[in-house]
Amino acid sequence: MNASSPSPRKLRVATVSLAGCFGCHMSLLDIDERLFDLVERVDFDRSPLTDIKTVGEHDRCDIGLVEGGLCNAENVEVLRAFRARCTVLVAVGACAITGGLPALRNHLDVGDIMQSVYGRVPDDPELPLPLNRVLPIHEVVRIDHALPGCPPPADAFWQLLQDLMAGRTPVPAPGLIRYD
Amino acid sequence: MSAVDPTFDLDGQPVALQPGDTILSAAARAGLDIPHLCWSEEVSGSASCRLCTVLAEGRPVAACVTPAVAGQKVECRTPSLATQRLRLLQMLFVEGNHFCPGCEKSGNCLLQVQAERAGMTDLNFEVLNPERPVDASHPDVLFEPNRCILCQLCVRASDEIDGKRVFAIGGHGIATRLLIDSPSGRLGDSALSVDDRAAHICPVGALLPKRVGFAVPIGQRRFDTEDTRG
Amino acid sequence: MDTRPLETAADSKGLRRIAIDPLSRVEGHGKVTLLLDDDNRVRQARLHIVEFRGFEKFIEGRPYWEVPVMVQRLCGICPVSHHLAASKAFDRVVGGWPVPPAADRIRRLMHYGQIVQSHALHFFHLASPDLLFGFDAEVDRRNIVGVAAAFPDAARQGVMLRKFGQEVIRITSGKRIHGTGAIPGGMNRAVDPAERDALRAELPQVLAWAQDAVTLARRLHESLPARYADFADTPAAMMSLVGRDGAMELYDGVLRLREADGRIAIDGFDDQRYRELIAEAVKPWTYMKFPYRRDLGVDDGWYRVGPLARVQNCDFIPTPRAEEARQAFVAAHGGRPVHAVLATHWARMIELLHGVETVAALLDDPLITGGPLQAEGTRQHSGVGIIEAPRGTLIHEYEVGDDDLVTRCNLIVSTTHNNQAMNEAVRAVALRYLDGETITEGLLNHIEVAVRAYDPCLSCATHALGQMPLAVSLRAADGRVLDHVLRSSTGELLRDGPTHDAEAAQ
Repeated sequence: MNASSPSPRKLRVATVSLAGCFGCHMSLLDIDERLFDLVERVDFDRSPLTDIKTVGEHDRCDIGLVEGGLCNAENVEVLRAFRARCTVLVAVGACAITGGLPALRNHLDVGDIMQSVYGRVPDDPELPLPLNRVLPIHEVVRIDHALPGCPPPADAFWQLLQDLMAGRTPVPAPGLIRYD
Repeated sequence: MSAVDPTFDLDGQPVALQPGDTILSAAARAGLDIPHLCWSEEVSGSASCRLCTVLAEGRPVAACVTPAVAGQKVECRTPSLATQRLRLLQMLFVEGNHFCPGCEKSGNCLLQVQAERAGMTDLNFEVLNPERPVDASHPDVLFEPNRCILCQLCVRASDEIDGKRVFAIGGHGIATRLLIDSPSGRLGDSALSVDDRAAHICPVGALLPKRVGFAVPIGQRRFDTEDTRG
Repeated sequence: MDTRPLETAADSKGLRRIAIDPLSRVEGHGKVTLLLDDDNRVRQARLHIVEFRGFEKFIEGRPYWEVPVMVQRLCGICPVSHHLAASKAFDRVVGGWPVPPAADRIRRLMHYGQIVQSHALHFFHLASPDLLFGFDAEVDRRNIVGVAAAFPDAARQGVMLRKFGQEVIRITSGKRIHGTGAIPGGMNRAVDPAERDALRAELPQVLAWAQDAVTLARRLHESLPARYADFADTPAAMMSLVGRDGAMELYDGVLRLREADGRIAIDGFDDQRYRELIAEAVKPWTYMKFPYRRDLGVDDGWYRVGPLARVQNCDFIPTPRAEEARQAFVAAHGGRPVHAVLATHWARMIELLHGVETVAALLDDPLITGGPLQAEGTRQHSGVGIIEAPRGTLIHEYEVGDDDLVTRCNLIVSTTHNNQAMNEAVRAVALRYLDGETITEGLLNHIEVAVRAYDPCLSCATHALGQMPLAVSLRAADGRVLDHVLRSSTGELLRDGPTHDAEAAQ
């Protein structure tokens, strides 16, 4: 009926930092001016950059970018919500993929540390339970893609999003796979 | 290359060989990369990492210890070998505590560069996070067992180059570890000197001269390329 | 210790819990909880840090030369602060303090580049939507994408200022985020002249943008609706480093503490002795500690750090345009101390301008392209490094054994210094704007506006392992809490520990 085809639906992208340092989010912003091209083609859902507090509350999310590993029960809950509501889930950065430097605490016993360190125990129900080990996210949910690096280079984010927007399976270019 | 030189075929390329060559040493001389971790031209082969596994006439062999044979057909870059290498690398990563972001060997690390070249983006397996205390007892050399991949390069260098036999491999299976020849089992009580080749041959960040750290800037490290830019 | 008004409800039974979770447009993860009675009167308001990552603990046992690179992973927004604070501490350990002049200049260049990028990020990407659209504008618009659509010039300036700062960091550390420039006793690289020249060419434009940013921040501040005139006005003492001459000094200086009324209380205090000045308290409902002045104690000894404190704590800013902007800031407030937290944005943009001016001067300094880069001396067993991070005073302290391994680590990050100040701001806003009202999303955002003014880096703030609780709740299928078990520091199991009905609502 209408000759002009509707412009393609904008993809919804959600992002979160679990037990991460926010560096992956900063590297995403390091696409610099390309950010303005990006927002022409995607809408941000829950993200530290927006005030949407729950992922996929109104619309299913197309892409979820997860920074950081899992250090407490709340991280696990948020990650599961991302998995449930995002079509494509991407583990972003060393912490999400390996646990990252926070996993250096894994050889310490959580109970022993408490015994040794405290003067007083924060005991409030508002504080989520810590996990005994910091886990990479693939040990709790299925991930579709992973973007290594600490943080992944900005160009790696750009390429991933370009590939996903074009419906291609993302394969990072060789120079964009970095672990430091 | 003259027509009479003996060669073998590596992924369609002729590779010249000399008496005593292994598949890996001949390929290395020709500038062709067969992925490896535990091989160095300075010491004998040990076939411990198996990353250099190739198909010689269809049979899987470790290129670092298999003699090159004239006329042989050797395959290195096949999809199934690529997958096998990727899995091997992932297993090495989850078996130890390899945290590239905080490691001074980053950019100079053979494990890191092999994994990057193999296209490793995730770990696939459950991480083990073993507990392995750092040995800082030596005044000039740090032993960081969390990063040791049991390649035995230090074992062979200490034995064959330094003539000291400071290191050995002991234990079985997942408990296999690098042993140090000293009454206490600690590096500080061993005969190792920072001038020994064994103190510098480690392909990862397990044996390191102390107080060097991040002295080499990003961009000038061994495996940096023009892509290595933040 | 819990004596501050609204910090702890007298009786939490029957109170309704509202949580702002997660706090958004801040770096890292935290939440605010409110307890309200039947008449919507606020009975308790708290800012919680709910995550920890344990850096202080696992740094123990690491070789010291790794640490300046490792600690960058405390924070991806201001990694340079941690990198340099740790490096300064280890300069002392290796006897390499002061570092050679070339290394000093390059480190300063890196640091001021970070001031530019972090302040740009905070003002434009995170906070500006509140100021441009209003605190209760619709949620979908309240973000940088909304700003890009409605105020494209402002959004572009923010993105480009941040880019410039990030590039300064890259040419001094090899990467925009988590590079490796500083090493104990100096630097591992000088600046490449070609890269320096590329950045110098951009300076006229960048300076103009920075000047515009100050103008914009001032205009937005002065055009706030009248009902926000005293928004989160929370008088507090102010702490920062200053130069020995009283100049604004962000890389290295002496500590100065100014009372809320403007009198200087402590000046010229040696950074290595900070422990004589500050102690830290722990509260059971957050992982973030509460630093306080030893002379005044836990309840009265809290203070503010960051741009609002720094701009007022120094005697002058040693670059001309920023000094002019500082004088305008002081004059606009009649010379009185300013404690309205929204003025922090204005102060922040004055610092951004100072950052660009300082970067410009350092790029002109021939020393940055070479010269000796490393100093060595007599080995010490400990060192303190204090720096003014974008969000305020950052303290790193280490002890190192003869075997080169770190034996003790203490970090007090900027956001931790502001813990009490932020909690006070949350309570001030809750009382002034939410108390007795029907709570709406827009009203809740008022609280976040106050928290955002501090640009809290909750990512940095989650480093502590020290206050980890083990608390287990047994819940019925309907969410009712049946039992609550707590393991104390002595290993004793306590039942029915402090809890409130709100827990059932979680």
